[in-house]
Amino acid sequence: MRNEEPLIAWPKEGSTRAPYRVMHDPEIYRQEMERIFRGPAWHYLCLEAELPNPGDYRTTFIGEVPIIVCRDEDGNINALVNRCAHKGAMLCIEPHGNRKQFACVYHAWTYDLKGALTSIAFQRGLAGKGGMPKDFDVSKHGLARIRVENFCGMVFGTFSDKVEDVETYLGPDMAAHVRRIFNRPIEIIGYYHQVLPNNWKLYMENSRDPYHATILHAFYATFKLNRLSMLGGVALGKEGWHNLLYSAAERDIQKENYEGGHLRSVIRDVGLADSTFLDRIQEFDDGITVAIQSIFPTCNTQQIYNTLAIRHTVPLGLEKAELHWTCFGYKDDTPELRRMRNLQANLIGPAGYVSMEDGSVGGYVQRGTAGAEEDAAAVMEMGGRTIEPQPGVRATEVALRGFWQAYRDLMGL
Amino acid sequence: MAIVSDGVRHQIEALNTRYIRAIDDDALEEWPKLFTEECLYRITTRENFSQNLPLPLMECASRGMLIDRVFGYRRVNVYEPQRYTHLLSGLIIEPIDATHIRCRQNYAVIRTMVTGEMMIFSAGLYHDRIVLGDEAMFEERIVVQESRRIDTLLVIPI
Repeated sequence: MRNEEPLIAWPKEGSTRAPYRVMHDPEIYRQEMERIFRGPAWHYLCLEAELPNPGDYRTTFIGEVPIIVCRDEDGNINALVNRCAHKGAMLCIEPHGNRKQFACVYHAWTYDLKGALTSIAFQRGLAGKGGMPKDFDVSKHGLARIRVENFCGMVFGTFSDKVEDVETYLGPDMAAHVRRIFNRPIEIIGYYHQVLPNNWKLYMENSRDPYHATILHAFYATFKLNRLSMLGGVALGKEGWHNLLYSAAERDIQKENYEGGHLRSVIRDVGLADSTFLDRIQEFDDGITVAIQSIFPTCNTQQIYNTLAIRHTVPLGLEKAELHWTCFGYKDDTPELRRMRNLQANLIGPAGYVSMEDGSVGGYVQRGTAGAEEDAAAVMEMGGRTIEPQPGVRATEVALRGFWQAYRDLMGL
Repeated sequence: MAIVSDGVRHQIEALNTRYIRAIDDDALEEWPKLFTEECLYRITTRENFSQNLPLPLMECASRGMLIDRVFGYRRVNVYEPQRYTHLLSGLIIEPIDATHIRCRQNYAVIRTMVTGEMMIFSAGLYHDRIVLGDEAMFEERIVVQESRRIDTLLVIPI
């Protein structure tokens, strides 16, 4: 594969540029499925808390490949390709459930929770006639099984036998942040599913971009939830493949940059009629109030005030993606804290005061870059041209450069 | 089931008509006025509702929060111009007492963009608690969308 001619010549400016063509070229998309989604990277599958009992399963996707994640009788979590080994029919259609085995509705080929083929309908035929050849070896026709790792309650899978373990893949700073979020047992409080009118990578850029957050999302700056002038910064993992954008609302060091300026996102003379949902409860000792972590390629962890979520982006072809939000609290939440998480859901998701714009802005880029010249590219030089951690720096695109570096590493571009 | 008088039915239908006119005619400032001061407006999906998962897409626990959503729509949030067309059907009326009524009703919302693109943006069931008076008002409207998906974003209430 790797000795193929690259599909495009990456701009000489390196990872400060991303050619618009990567959002529009079907051949590039096909290679992403091969080199990124089947390549040496870990992909978020589900939370361990969603599979409490043997037989519990959820369905998801790695790239376009349908996956079943399930807990077997021994308590282990397995990830299986959701595709019958006979004719390729999808086995589990429902998003979640509980099964003792996976039986294909088409011809009743049946698999156990580890993916082994256990029975074939009419294997011996009828009245001695028909059936499978005597030498057909069922042990060679199980479901494709992929590597799985449960890190702090986040379940990841990969097709790669080369990629290192999840903790090494994340690196110490990113692993520490996952531990910070998953510091005690969680409880799922609900889901959102949002269809984005853009290539999957545009959301990956968006969630790595602190520069846009307080400009596009006017609610943040207007109501002082998050401003670039607040203390915060960018931490990186695996040379920039992953990152953490963080800020602390109590520590606004240069607020005059917003209040004296001319940003559309700061609308003066306004207040909310009922702002009780912004009475945040400080639940982390570090003072951080907004923390968005990106785990390459398509997983984010999110803390915005008292909202906690995993966001998982799944490509739906070249020009669409689906963003799956899994929102949670802790098992030991007080009723007040749980109430606050639900009220603050007004901030997040497809209808979120501080997140709805991300649903549309990717579509503006997707449409804006259609038909662009061969060498036209996005420019990402905020915060310099290098990829290194930037504590205390918020007006920066360093995490986007990290994403594109990882992308080029895997795509050979 | 208690018999519902024509007058009660008329009040409820009038309230629903004012509701969809406020939204579909882009007169959203009229929308909070259809709710009592203490009220609950929540949009959720069948997926969350049927599993008793409390997470709302949108939740206003007071008339003030409804007014704030209108403010967000008018002045803060960023989205492509869009209009809704509501279609209502299958009204079920279940009186609680002389002045309080529970209702359920199917809704569908067609969303039209400036490009001319139209889609069935949302369809599902309204679960209402209504108080009668000179004019009926919503004490509670829970919107349960059948689909778990939202296309692009949700800024205008359903």
